[in-house]
Amino acid sequence: MWNKVLMSTAAALVGLSHAAHAQTTPQSITVAYYGGNWGEAFDACVAQPFTKATGIKVVAEIGNSTTTLSKLQQQTGEAVIDVAYMDGGISEIAEAAGVLAPIDLEKLSNAAALQPQAIYKNGDHAFAVSAGYYSLGLIYNTSEVSDVPQSWEELWNESYAGAVAIPSPNNSAGVPFVIFLAGAFGDKSETMDATFAKLKALDTGLLYDTSGAASNAFQSNEVVIGAHFNVGAWDLIDAGLPIGFTVPKEGVWATDARMHIVKGTKNADAAAEFIDTALTAEAASCLAERLYLGPAVTGVTLSPDVEKKLPWGAGGSIESLHLFDWSDVNTKRPAVTDRWNREIAN
Amino acid sequence: MFTSRLTLLWLLALPLCVFTAFFLIPLGVVFVASLTTQDGQFTLSQYGRVLLDGYHWQVIAVTFRLAILSTIICIVLGYPLAWYLVRIVKWRSWRRACVIMLILPLFTSNIVRSFGWMVLLGRTGLVNDALLGAGLIERPIRFLGTETGILIGLVYILLPFTVLTIGNALARVEPSLEHASRDLGAGPLRTFCSITFPLTMHGVMAGGIIVFSMAISAYVTPALLSGGKVTVLAMLAFQQYSTVFDFNYGGALSITLLTFTMALIGISSWMTRIGVHEKKGN
Repeated sequence: MWNKVLMSTAAALVGLSHAAHAQTTPQSITVAYYGGNWGEAFDACVAQPFTKATGIKVVAEIGNSTTTLSKLQQQTGEAVIDVAYMDGGISEIAEAAGVLAPIDLEKLSNAAALQPQAIYKNGDHAFAVSAGYYSLGLIYNTSEVSDVPQSWEELWNESYAGAVAIPSPNNSAGVPFVIFLAGAFGDKSETMDATFAKLKALDTGLLYDTSGAASNAFQSNEVVIGAHFNVGAWDLIDAGLPIGFTVPKEGVWATDARMHIVKGTKNADAAAEFIDTALTAEAASCLAERLYLGPAVTGVTLSPDVEKKLPWGAGGSIESLHLFDWSDVNTKRPAVTDRWNREIAN
Repeated sequence: MFTSRLTLLWLLALPLCVFTAFFLIPLGVVFVASLTTQDGQFTLSQYGRVLLDGYHWQVIAVTFRLAILSTIICIVLGYPLAWYLVRIVKWRSWRRACVIMLILPLFTSNIVRSFGWMVLLGRTGLVNDALLGAGLIERPIRFLGTETGILIGLVYILLPFTVLTIGNALARVEPSLEHASRDLGAGPLRTFCSITFPLTMHGVMAGGIIVFSMAISAYVTPALLSGGKVTVLAMLAFQQYSTVFDFNYGGALSITLLTFTMALIGISSWMTRIGVHEKKGN
């Protein structure tokens, strides 16, 4: 009789501890990241190793940064997404909107490897860590542009009139590109009049909204020179097209994809563990090999072929990137967009 | 009576719910946003910003020019096409094949079709290559990034709607009325102008309204074929929502577009009604 009681008590205790365990270790977490080859890379380089190590499944919530931000704003109070990938710029807007939870870097075993630029703080707490960098460099058609362009000034070369592509403010790189050009051409005025006058004189073939539209235009020879993301440009080069990508003497503007823990998540520990997995050298080198995303952590060794395709180009480093203060860019965004609409997109 | 009313109510309940949830509420949200500041205070300043600025009138003019031209071209091209399908094609299978060919592009996404035009109309595209090859032009004509390029894309996408509505109207015209007109001595042109065309006017109007409302609110085709160099109102509103995050100004732009569109459609149907009444009066 006592044996039976003991047995059933033990069984009940085991059952209870299982139930308690199930509460702390979720079966799955939801991570919002991008679609296409970016999503595939995040799945292979971060999500799968994370599931292998923890047994927690990763449910992908596909969408671009702005869509993810909208989703986070809709779900305040009842968080469905646990970890969100969003680009620089949108990251700051999300923090200001109060949809992010602080990231406790001390809890992350790999946080020490993060580059100092890769931690984004608001006051005393970190709200985002970088998942890797990409840049907007100079892309050109090697059969139409014989010498490697050394400067952004080359876009104004008469020979390429009507066949130049640059991002419009509808693209995340559009507004920062205008601010970058102002810096590159020494235009220090607040209104950037000289830069806008110069842009107005540029005979463009395409002011692109999406990176895909730029790739398409270079592929079909619609444009022969312009500004494009290192990731998109190297995809074209890898496909065997006569395309070159270079970092001109004025440098390149760059930004990053960032990871955030969502405010109100019920799986805060698993979310932190997911980010910790993404900060391993293995994950960073995997993303560098698949997307040419510049690692935000130290201790990553890559082949020379991948090295030259990184956002800073061959021999460069994170220091050679022009990383902007996004709060400043976001403040200037409405005015720059409005002026672009009136003077350039007309 | 009571039962049939109840049945009617039940039948209407589902569409009414869908209409409210997916149309009225979102539209209401946009409308409220257009009348408030970012802090939620009532204001008309967003409309002032839109309507008191010459730049916006310029964009409104481009938008309406493109929509009106698309409508006219679609009707002018669609009428003979519908005539061919209804009056000339005698072989049933061929007519069916033609209708399928006409409808088939509608099953493909707008984005794919617009990308197709980008390949055809590009600097080194098929159209320019053909014109250069034939010696008709010396340097490539710029289609992409111009209103002409957008117009070509819009007409291609919207043409089936006019052919279908006009074809339907043509098929319903009583042949005896046309025979009577010919018997009374009217020539083919007079018969067409006084009998056939007025009888198909409702089809022309329906097709015209469909094309106009789709062209005026089109986003994908203008966004892709403009290459960022021509702006229509839908693009401007989308930009405010997606990149500038100014939902109030974006809302005012959207409501302005809606109001102008409704006004123009209202005026045109009123004018048609007056025209029909006058004809009847005569």
